Amino acid sequence: MSEAAITGKAPEVIWKSKSWCIGFILFLSFLLMALFAAEIAPYDPWARFEPYQPPGSEHILGTNDMGHDILSELIYGSRASLLAGFGAAILATFIGTLVGLAAGYFKGMTDEALMGITDIFLMIPQIPLIIVLAAFLRPSLYLIAIIMGLLWWTSTARVVRSKTLQVREMGYVQAARSLGFSDPHIILTDVLPNILYVIMPKFLLAIASAMIAEASISFLGLGDITMKSWGMMINNAFNRGGFINGYWWWYLTPGLCITLFVLCVVLMGCAFEEQENETMRLQ
Amino acid sequence: MTDPSCSDRPILVVAGLTVGFETAAGRVMAAEDVSFCLRQSETLALVGETGCGKSVVASAIMKLLPRNASVRGHAEFAGRDLLARSEKEMAEIRGKEIAIVFQNPSLALNPIIRIAEQVAEPLQVHEHASRHKSIKTAEEMLHRLGLGSREAHMYPFQFSGGMNQRAMIATSMILTPKVIIADEPSHGLDAGLVDETMKEMMKIKEQIGSSLLLITHDLTLARRFSERMAVMYCGEIVETGKSEEIFNKPLHPYTRALLDCLPERGFHPIPGSSPSMINPPAGCKFRPRCPHAGERCMKRPRIVEGAEKDCDREVRCWLY
Amino acid sequence: MLAVLRAEKVGLVYESGLIFKSRHTVLKGITLELQEGRTLGLLGASGSGKSTLGRILAGQQRPTSGRVLFDGEDIWLMPKGERSAYKKQVQMVFQDPEGSLNPRKSIERSIHEVLALLKVPPGKWQSRTKEAFEMVGLSEDLLCRRPAQISGGQCQRVALARVLLLRPRVVILDEPTSALDISVQAQILNLLKELQSDLGLAYLLISHQPEVISFMAHETLCLEGGEIV
Repeated sequence: MSEAAITGKAPEVIWKSKSWCIGFILFLSFLLMALFAAEIAPYDPWARFEPYQPPGSEHILGTNDMGHDILSELIYGSRASLLAGFGAAILATFIGTLVGLAAGYFKGMTDEALMGITDIFLMIPQIPLIIVLAAFLRPSLYLIAIIMGLLWWTSTARVVRSKTLQVREMGYVQAARSLGFSDPHIILTDVLPNILYVIMPKFLLAIASAMIAEASISFLGLGDITMKSWGMMINNAFNRGGFINGYWWWYLTPGLCITLFVLCVVLMGCAFEEQENETMRLQ
Repeated sequence: MTDPSCSDRPILVVAGLTVGFETAAGRVMAAEDVSFCLRQSETLALVGETGCGKSVVASAIMKLLPRNASVRGHAEFAGRDLLARSEKEMAEIRGKEIAIVFQNPSLALNPIIRIAEQVAEPLQVHEHASRHKSIKTAEEMLHRLGLGSREAHMYPFQFSGGMNQRAMIATSMILTPKVIIADEPSHGLDAGLVDETMKEMMKIKEQIGSSLLLITHDLTLARRFSERMAVMYCGEIVETGKSEEIFNKPLHPYTRALLDCLPERGFHPIPGSSPSMINPPAGCKFRPRCPHAGERCMKRPRIVEGAEKDCDREVRCWLY
Repeated sequence: MLAVLRAEKVGLVYESGLIFKSRHTVLKGITLELQEGRTLGLLGASGSGKSTLGRILAGQQRPTSGRVLFDGEDIWLMPKGERSAYKKQVQMVFQDPEGSLNPRKSIERSIHEVLALLKVPPGKWQSRTKEAFEMVGLSEDLLCRRPAQISGGQCQRVALARVLLLRPRVVILDEPTSALDISVQAQILNLLKELQSDLGLAYLLISHQPEVISFMAHETLCLEGGEIV
């Protein structure tokens, strides 16, 4: 006689989980930083001051080679990085879920065809593709995010497909089909809620991966110069004498931000999986 | 409270066992004042329907319940109270002196270790037997339960539920424990296989001279393979006695109604439904469904020993 | 009496492999008839193909040979719309009562979604639910609970209520009580008998237990290795 059986509610484990709390607070901080950048940042990131200033009372993190305040750059940079991260993740998760659900639910030819397409996409090397595209097109943050989204849906599709195959054989799905419910209805109300717990962690991790990928691309100099993402900051720091001169406040801080963000996303993803395991166990 | 039928060498005596769980919805009394005794080399069946608390009783005796359970009463084994023992002492007893076979065999087996090795493990741990010797003994035991040497070296995930069940039985009996607690051993097995497995289990049990506490909802199985039977309803034992006698002359109204539900007696249903464990009926738990319910049944009936001139019988009912 | 549902020489063969095809015969030459208000018992051990036959009769799987006739018409020759209507009239009740309900949906939601499927106006949902529950002997305070919180017997009754809302003519019972306790088994079997006499349902009762079949069925067929013996 389990607790869940009596009260009928999965216990609110997720709020009690330490990893979720820490992760969520960090995540929220970054989100707020991005949304209220104009209010939080001390200066306009494009305003010019005396360049190459070390951290001081006026500029907490000093200034870069163009005289822009680094702290303001950092705060505004969160917008670009988060945008890239979220944009790519949403696109990838959306496509991946759609493909996975269709392949897993309808099986047969649909499954074969979709998995074939998935395999083709898996063969495409992502970073080289972006490099090639950057050479021909004007690199913009949105384009990078879209390309990442279009290439990354494959692993989500695989995971969603395998879970869907499982859930599809469950008694209640069979019963629903026997009662005559339409396939879209069954997928939306019976299958999807029961596979959400695999989609969420993948979504969160995709945000982290996308952010790191964007930083890498910017670091290689292929990123969007007009948007001061964290990756771009690191790129500038290295190329314009920040590293050689030991201006750690310039290149370490964006790196730290990326690391912290990835950490909080991973913590939330793990907390999610933990909670689902708890729910399954109690049931 | 002494059970007069336990005059010859009881090996496990459970007295006044009460188990409660603290949950968000309130206190759940899973078992109340459960008393029975298991004699040397005998088979006692603890019979009841889903949710009556029989598995809880087994877990309570072995101190395997979760932390939110409160256990009161005594469970005497070899002269000492199990419930008073430390976890370390219990770890020594479990498997070696009292073995328990659970309901979900597939979950109890490690999927990536071969069956023969898992069955041999208790021998290596408790008796420090050599690997070669213990695996040989394991293979023999598995063979007796119908699993050949080819199957013995397969992995649990290659086995069906029934094969896993038999592997679990082999694991539990390999250390020749004094008491075996089998929780729904027929679960997941086809009718023919149940018979075979149970017969083999009983043969091995006879050989090693252990006692068996058979927990089951299958009345026919209980009748076939046990000498004595205890019927549970809503956490309480309502009737105890020799299995054949209970079948031929059931005393408690619940036992009578339950037997009437059997296919051979015509599938006559019991009116009403099982009571909630959170808000059980006051007094006698069976009162709302009993055809003989009266005023006095608002008070919880005491156990009557030697009911109807049968010195082996005990009934918890005001009718006697 | 005209048969409601009739199977004529129904067979199912699975073929696999591209070059070296291997054939596996699940069912062979099954002919049977279901009539209104009567129960046909199908006795067989696990693996004899009885569940597959149930699915074929419910129109959920297409046989590789033979015909399935509903009121004299071949269901696989019907236009798609008519076939969906047919599928609603032939319903199935499964072995695992708790498994046939979505664990995340409350009982109320599980019932209401069936009513929505039938395009019953929301105003009538409460009264139809009450009606259905009365028929299967359930109290309305179960509505807010989830399948994990109610007993196996109650789950099976909810599954029955859902099926009866569609007002079927044939119900295929695939081991409906194997997973239930003895007293609950007796209750459900008696309930099924009552419903048959009240609503004139035709039952195909699939079971591996001869006692269950002899209690309920007017006629019995034995299935072994995919054939009627």
